[in-house]
Amino acid sequence: MKALSFEGSGLEYFKIWIVNILLTIVTLGLYYPWAKVRNHRYFYGNSTLEGRNFEYHATGKQLFIGYLISISLVIIYVIIQNISPIGAFIALGVLFLALPWIVWRSMMFNMRMISFSNVRFSFDGTLGQAYINFLLLPILLLVAIYGPIIGAAFSSILIATSSAFVGILTALLFIACYIFAFYAYAWMKKRNTTYAINGARYGQGRFATTVETKGFAKILLKTIGVSILVTIAAIAIIMAISAMTVGISNISNVFESLEDPEAMQEIMSGGLALAFGLFYLIMIIASFVVLAYSFVRNRAYTYANSTLDNDITFASTLSVKSVTWVMLSNLLLIIISLGFAMPWAKVRMAKLVLENTQADTQLNLDTYVSQQQGKQSALGEQIGEAFDIDVQVAF
Amino acid sequence: MLITGHWYKKGSAAQSSATLRFSNELCVIETNELIVFSGHLEEINVSDRLGNVERKLTLRDGSLFATQDNNAIDKLFKSKKANQYIHTIESHMGWVAVALVVTLLTSFAFFKWGVPWASTKIAHALPHKTNELIATHTFDFLDGYIFDESQITPQRKEEIRNHFNENVAPLDDSGLAINYRIHFRQWSSGDTEIPNALALPSGDIILTDSFVKLSENQHEIDSVLLHEMGHIVHRHTLQRVVESTFITTVIMLVTGDGNSITDMGTGLGSILVSSNYSRGHESEADAYAFKHMLSANIDPQHFSNIISRITAPLGKTELHANEDTDSGLTSYFSSHPVTKERVLQANKYHECFKKGLTSCQTDTDEHPEEE
Repeated sequence: MKALSFEGSGLEYFKIWIVNILLTIVTLGLYYPWAKVRNHRYFYGNSTLEGRNFEYHATGKQLFIGYLISISLVIIYVIIQNISPIGAFIALGVLFLALPWIVWRSMMFNMRMISFSNVRFSFDGTLGQAYINFLLLPILLLVAIYGPIIGAAFSSILIATSSAFVGILTALLFIACYIFAFYAYAWMKKRNTTYAINGARYGQGRFATTVETKGFAKILLKTIGVSILVTIAAIAIIMAISAMTVGISNISNVFESLEDPEAMQEIMSGGLALAFGLFYLIMIIASFVVLAYSFVRNRAYTYANSTLDNDITFASTLSVKSVTWVMLSNLLLIIISLGFAMPWAKVRMAKLVLENTQADTQLNLDTYVSQQQGKQSALGEQIGEAFDIDVQVAF
Repeated sequence: MLITGHWYKKGSAAQSSATLRFSNELCVIETNELIVFSGHLEEINVSDRLGNVERKLTLRDGSLFATQDNNAIDKLFKSKKANQYIHTIESHMGWVAVALVVTLLTSFAFFKWGVPWASTKIAHALPHKTNELIATHTFDFLDGYIFDESQITPQRKEEIRNHFNENVAPLDDSGLAINYRIHFRQWSSGDTEIPNALALPSGDIILTDSFVKLSENQHEIDSVLLHEMGHIVHRHTLQRVVESTFITTVIMLVTGDGNSITDMGTGLGSILVSSNYSRGHESEADAYAFKHMLSANIDPQHFSNIISRITAPLGKTELHANEDTDSGLTSYFSSHPVTKERVLQANKYHECFKKGLTSCQTDTDEHPEEE
């Protein structure tokens, strides 16, 4: 096993980033697709494994038409929204139905545009599976989660009018439904991961994964456990701090003065601003820990159970601590710098993630050859981006 | 000139060490075993430089020569300057500084003038139906969670309503055909009642019981009603909705690529930025009230009297005229101009009133967004 590395630097990327923004401003946004290409090229190009690097091959021109179409769609949507709310609702419905297609197109395009060591990746998952994975399963999951709540509302009427037996029965049913919803989520996660990985190809090679519902369910259960622990810890710390520094009487003062800006400012200047900031920070740290835990565990599980041609294996060695730390310090960096430290933040995260991504180095890579495929249109990808649909096909 | 790198057969991952030699206008690329290319520079397609990302040279047969030696490649292909402009900008600190300054200035100008200007235009271009749509849910929410039923006698309510309909509502010269309706509600927080007036974008104006009790004469109520009408006529709620959408969209575009963690910080930032705008809205509503008080022959002094009285008692809220539901949040960030400044403005109009003028030129008329 050998780890990947990231060879870019914050300062170098800052220059590229700021020039991208400048040109995007000067061209009133028209430069955006070219800026995006430079960003992607920088991050893929600097990702290396044993002297071979990734490349991003899409051109600004390729992305430009899709970009124009997606901007027009957004403008049309905004206009419809203002003229008739029902029209906007229908438009959203159409978008919802088109979503799996957009995601599917986007996955095909993005994978095809990436190469490693001169060989292109590609994606050949089917459109039908995309509809099952990105439309049918999410709807089923929503039903599984919200169904019991609606059911409970109905049964509460029943309970009021009938025996205790019915009450216990509905309670049991309720719990059963939630266990089902829990497994449904893990199952969906398995289906989605399988779709993304089994559809991915490297040259003539094929990725394959053996992830199982049980594995994701275990991680989900642990994540729930971690979030409960972290929440308890956060509340305990907040209470300890407030008892020490502020005192209970002051807290009630704060609530009284919530309606009064001037009294509020007085109290705020009296050191409470610091306390509020601290509470906020603790809540952010807590949520970052949970996010990082879920991300790190799911990634490690998926990588450990995926191969290229049953031959090349992968591993993710990220730790919850390091991911939490980089996330948190990045957030502070960005806030303090009013966003101008974004390039350093991105480079730090890329370094951390890549240096903790490993691949088998008994590389039989030399046998891989790019497969010919028809011309790819960037349409799906750009529409997806315009409506803020994040498609993760990154390594 | 000798450049070392790697050579890949067309479409193949197999990598072999290779060198590029350039002499006598002839470029030769060879691996350990064989010469893979021999020809002129024009026959080679070079990728654009981007930082120090490995350079890819595509040869005649589609095979690839890759090298880390970016500077040597730049020197070798210096005649092909055309696609190097962007890298030139990126690699000179002077240009980077220019980009930084331009970006800072444009974003400052954009948030300071661009967003308010555009959202005012957009807010006024939207049909009045939009306002009513926003307001219905807001009123239901306020009634459900914030307000209690008013304890004011029906006679007093009727009196205020009639006076408003006959004397104040007709002052609206905006031509927007807004149907103003006055509502009475009790609003208390703990044991204290909150004196306040709120305007919903639909034309509904809510007066709290405590406000009605604190007012000493009809002129004071009129002045506050005019202030609220100012909010409605200028479509401030809609402007804020548009503004926050604007700011979020732009920030999302610039910070891009949907990194959800960094979005957390920028979301916070946009709340702070938009709360700043609403101070301008208060001054604008004040100016509207003063102007119409003059033309209706009401002394602007009444406005400063009532807001001073409302603000004066400790623990009581300031005249809080924000139109939407997030009342707790907006007062938290202090969206109102400091009372002293508002009183000062009222005094200026009061001077005009004493002179018998029906209009008054003050600073706020010209720059309603600044205090």
